[in-house]
Amino acid sequence: MSRRPPPPEAVRLLSFEDEARLFMRLRGTLAWETIRSMLADARLRLSLVVLLSGLFWAALYGLFLEGFGFLDSLHAEVISLLFNAFFASLMVMLVFSTGILVYTGMYCSPEARLLLTLPVRAETIHTHKFREAMWFSSWGFVLLGSPMLAAYGVVRHAAWPYYVVMLPLMISFVFIPASVGSIICTLLVAWMPRLRLHALTIGVTAASVAALGLGWSIFSQSQVDGMSAAWFERTFARLAVAEQKMFPSWWLSMGLIEAARTERDGSLLAAGLFESLKFLALLVANALALQHLAAWVARVAYRRGYSQLIGEVPARRRRPLRWFDRTLGHAGFAAGRPLRLLLVKDLRLFRRDISQWSQFAIFFGLLGLYFLNLRAFNYHNAYASMIGYLNLAVVGLILSTFTTRFVYPMISLEGRRFWILGLLPVHRDQIVWSKFLFSFCGSIVPCCCLVLLSDCMLGIPWPLIAQHELCCVMLCMGLSGIAVGFGARMPDLRESSPSKIAAGFGGTLSLVVSSLFIMATVMLAAVPTHLFLLARTLGPGAVSPLGSFAWAGGPWGAAAGAVAVVALGLVATFVPLGLGLRAFRRLEA
Amino acid sequence: MIEFDHVTRTYGAKTAVSDLTLAIPRGELFALLGPNGAGKTTTIRMLVGLLRPSRGAVRVCGHDLVKDPRSAHLHLGYVPDEPTLYDKLTGREFLWFIADMFGMPQRLATTRIDREIEHFELGEFADDLAESYSLGMKQRLVFAASLLHDPDVLVLDEPMVGLDPRSVRIVKDLLSARTREGMTVFMSTHTLAMAEEMADRVGIMVRGQLRFLGTIAELREQMALESTTLEQLYLEVTSARRTEP
Repeated sequence: MSRRPPPPEAVRLLSFEDEARLFMRLRGTLAWETIRSMLADARLRLSLVVLLSGLFWAALYGLFLEGFGFLDSLHAEVISLLFNAFFASLMVMLVFSTGILVYTGMYCSPEARLLLTLPVRAETIHTHKFREAMWFSSWGFVLLGSPMLAAYGVVRHAAWPYYVVMLPLMISFVFIPASVGSIICTLLVAWMPRLRLHALTIGVTAASVAALGLGWSIFSQSQVDGMSAAWFERTFARLAVAEQKMFPSWWLSMGLIEAARTERDGSLLAAGLFESLKFLALLVANALALQHLAAWVARVAYRRGYSQLIGEVPARRRRPLRWFDRTLGHAGFAAGRPLRLLLVKDLRLFRRDISQWSQFAIFFGLLGLYFLNLRAFNYHNAYASMIGYLNLAVVGLILSTFTTRFVYPMISLEGRRFWILGLLPVHRDQIVWSKFLFSFCGSIVPCCCLVLLSDCMLGIPWPLIAQHELCCVMLCMGLSGIAVGFGARMPDLRESSPSKIAAGFGGTLSLVVSSLFIMATVMLAAVPTHLFLLARTLGPGAVSPLGSFAWAGGPWGAAAGAVAVVALGLVATFVPLGLGLRAFRRLEA
Repeated sequence: MIEFDHVTRTYGAKTAVSDLTLAIPRGELFALLGPNGAGKTTTIRMLVGLLRPSRGAVRVCGHDLVKDPRSAHLHLGYVPDEPTLYDKLTGREFLWFIADMFGMPQRLATTRIDREIEHFELGEFADDLAESYSLGMKQRLVFAASLLHDPDVLVLDEPMVGLDPRSVRIVKDLLSARTREGMTVFMSTHTLAMAEEMADRVGIMVRGQLRFLGTIAELREQMALESTTLEQLYLEVTSARRTEP
């Protein structure tokens, strides 16, 4: 062992607290600079996003307010059940999404490579990247959860402490699945780097099988007395797995429900608040303990895992779908070949990116499971029609999150490879069109199948099924157009992380516009149908208050609705695409 | 200052670095040469603590990079082949972040930051966001950051990529001055002219093994090619016809 010279003059290792302060300052500076550049360069766009996000929040709030009011009048207990099921499924999703984002941030980012060559603790780097991952994985929860919980508070006439504890309850809850995801990711990379893909596949499969089994056990025997008190009792008993008292999702549900409890005269119930604070303390204690454990795991395993990963030899992959790529690449006329080759390239990238197809499979798989069990509810015609439209909207909303998260960043991600495409004999328009076709063709089959499944399970007549399928096609087309058009209009060529590109201004705007488009499409189709069913059930007098618009409740109304849906779909597709194409032609890489 | 003690690194069945034993003393500028896939990047990654050896140990100023990476990093400065900066930090803010990371006192940090900004002629754009920098500007800033704490060991991976001729001259002069003051430089490069001009010793790696270690004069002597350039010598050493020295 050689003699150890002292460290260079006036240089020292930082304490844990100093490191934490330094990274907090770094995050603060980065956030401030980001906001400052947005304020300086894109004030109008920023205002638009704030305004549209506010509208989106308000619309969600109104929707949840109606929903909770409806459920509260039917079966008050169902809200507890819904909360438990919602937060339990969210918990599982947060474990996966944070795990994936921690993997990207800690093992694949240039920043991690820089920090690992500086005298900083591994656990500090982990905490820094974990916070970032948690923010990106949970912003959707805040955007969806806050109007939902605010609406619940209003319906239950909750006193002010409910609104005060709501946010701490949500934040402390998010830390728990996020920490679990981070721990699993760090351990997997350090000790089973080759197994991480298989482990994720096994985890997803196990979760899907468990959800399928649970769904089947809940709904398979409930076909006769759907939505009755007995049905609810049996369903409650079977959903007991989501109501386990050891689950953080249960602590969160109970914390919220207890905080919303009031005296008969509407005044604050001290016992309820006290109970809620106990659940908050439980969540905070567990969140802190898991954070501590995640930091300890990072201290032991992070550097080892990083070394394992960069020292890994890529396994020789089998190419089972090569024949498909080859056929697609050579099919059709020679003139369209560049477009098809671009499509094949995107298809290959999608297949080889586990974060894309795994999330796609999870969300659409769970939705399929739900639709498979719709028959158990025995909805009557009016309900069946309404549920059919709601399911259509849900398919659209889930598709919009995918188009925003995965399709919107595609043009930006081409930025770094732009010189390759720029030198090829490919017109720039073909690049944009290939992204649109990739998204449209990729989404249309699963979405239309899901809508068909939902309608068949609900026993909806074929003319309505045809209308739903038409809406679904227009939704797939419009959402693809919005994502690709906005992605080409507002590319972020410097950013390499698709999640960060999607979370930026353009991505948020794309999500908001997509949501408005879905709502408008569903409303345009649903209103005439609803009036038609109303007139058929209650007689023509039911729509006579509409005066000169009473025709909207007849076949002409349905036809006009269908034309309006097609027109809106075409506008939503071609206006953003046109803007995107024009901007992309002018783009200087 | 730098010790590779029987270091081997394997990637599955492939041996990237095989039983490397190398000691580089204080004040030496060492250039590691070799064709693509020879094991240079693996060696550099082990030296800066990103990659762990499969066998053996790497030490910087006596600190083992696996057992005590933070203490080793306190003595290290590293300039990677691809500069990594925070886009939303200005050059000056980045330098402050690095100075704080090394726990430098405020006054000393101010002096050193000003010194490096002047050395690398960063003054004009030091207060602009790094997202607006060219590759060369980024590389100069990374150089400045790596020298801020006056490291005992500076590790350079293809250091001249993206630098204009004036910046190359600045870097060369600075490296000469710092090595005279006792800093050890470990440099991996394909630029043979630079190695010839600056290196005290060179090492030539081929397929994970150090085929030659010594001065360029010793290399000429060994190859019995008195008046040839380093390029010709390098090609001789790295060609498959030659056996190990």
